[in-house]
Amino acid sequence: MIEVSNLTKRYHRLVALDGISFKVNQGDVLGFLGPNGAGKTTTMRILTGAMPATSGQVQVAGYDVFEQPLQVKRRVGYLAEVPPLYEDMDTSSFLRFVGRLKGVGRKKLGGEVDRVLATCGLEEVCSRRIGNLSKGFRQRIGVAQALLGDPEVLILDEPTIGLDPNQIIEIRGLIRELAENHTVVLSTHILPEVTQICNRVVIIHRGRIVADDSLDKLTTEERSLEQTFHELTQQ
Amino acid sequence: MRNVFAIFRKELQITFTTPVAYVAFTVFTIVSSFFFLRMLSEFQRRIMIATQMRPQMLQYMNFTDHVIQPLLYNVAVILIFVVPFITMRLIAEERRARTFELLLTNPVTPFQIVLGKYLSALVVVLVMVILVLIYPLLVWTYAEYGGPEWATVLTGLVGLFLVGAAFTAVGLFISSLTSSQIVAAAITFCTLLLLWVVGWAATDNTGITRDILSGMSAIEHIRSFAKGIIDSKDLVYYLSLAFLGVFLTHRALEAQRWR
Repeated sequence: MIEVSNLTKRYHRLVALDGISFKVNQGDVLGFLGPNGAGKTTTMRILTGAMPATSGQVQVAGYDVFEQPLQVKRRVGYLAEVPPLYEDMDTSSFLRFVGRLKGVGRKKLGGEVDRVLATCGLEEVCSRRIGNLSKGFRQRIGVAQALLGDPEVLILDEPTIGLDPNQIIEIRGLIRELAENHTVVLSTHILPEVTQICNRVVIIHRGRIVADDSLDKLTTEERSLEQTFHELTQQ
Repeated sequence: MRNVFAIFRKELQITFTTPVAYVAFTVFTIVSSFFFLRMLSEFQRRIMIATQMRPQMLQYMNFTDHVIQPLLYNVAVILIFVVPFITMRLIAEERRARTFELLLTNPVTPFQIVLGKYLSALVVVLVMVILVLIYPLLVWTYAEYGGPEWATVLTGLVGLFLVGAAFTAVGLFISSLTSSQIVAAAITFCTLLLLWVVGWAATDNTGITRDILSGMSAIEHIRSFAKGIIDSKDLVYYLSLAFLGVFLTHRALEAQRWR
């Protein structure tokens, strides 16, 4: 579903991504891990077409991100690290706006917005101004906008950040449900989250991939995912 | 087109739910009303003098020429101060709030973004032009005879809208270069001001330099509109400035994406 080959990104002299390659198959839930500054967000931003790469190729659902960006963007729902929200809009007009951008037809728009409002538990705040909402609600609006138009691929950059324990459980449950018929790339620092949701793990460190395997192989009886992560990202 | 409309609609929603547009309208109306009242009383004074001194002059004194024409010129100058406040938000704020990423990761092209935003700002300009219509309407309602020449007034308002459209395009472009609204407003204001005062330098020069300098002045071109004349050179001036601004904004967005 997603094919990244030889992806390099340089910011002036700083090398953020150094020729990384990995594949995500249809139906995979990929945990994308790495210490802060490893290049996770950079990779995700390139995958979603928010930013170009210096070199390398990315294909999503058979379309090249650089050659056919619109085709890719139609099939990808993206939750950025800081959810991009218009503070001056109310929740449902914001979601209607994103729905229109995603090309949800006029007749379906209302139903689609109601669906994501319900999925993310946002009905009670649907007419409140986003700028006045708590962090947890904002995060959920971020998730909701990624779900609009039911894209095949979901790219979620730290989706549970800023949520309280109850909301974390809800969102995890939601991601698990979505995983049944979506391809998900999930970045997080909460390793237990990965063990609960993901079936595959890619660990990136200083712009290089240091592990790419199924979850079962990276966690064994004697070594937890935490230990593996710590060892691989030490130097 | 659907995407352009989606962006257009969102921009208008934000513009009209936040105070910025209303503040702009209020400031604009207060200042232009002041100018209107000044011109009106000056006109009355002249009529008084003419009635006493040279009654034959009265037939040349006409409300449209003496009040509306200079008013439009002054209102165009007010736009230099007001337009930066309308355009500063357009792209700079998206950048600061990181919402630009939302637009970039959705199936929209930069051109659709620019067009949607530009059209939404034009609506705000249009509202201001319509606000100016109040003055001739007032006179038309209360004048016992005479009143405005509507064809001339409307041509002048078209000219005013074109001034606003050109200024908005300049502001939009400058807003696309920064993530600070203040910086965008300051630079836009400075640019528009220079576009106006560059005409003043014309008087110090002769020949072709003079023609070029006076031709560059953004406000001079409204004079013939205010007289009720649609001159192709003025039309070309405003439309090309508007086109240039929109084109450069599009280029700027494309360029920043690839950085």
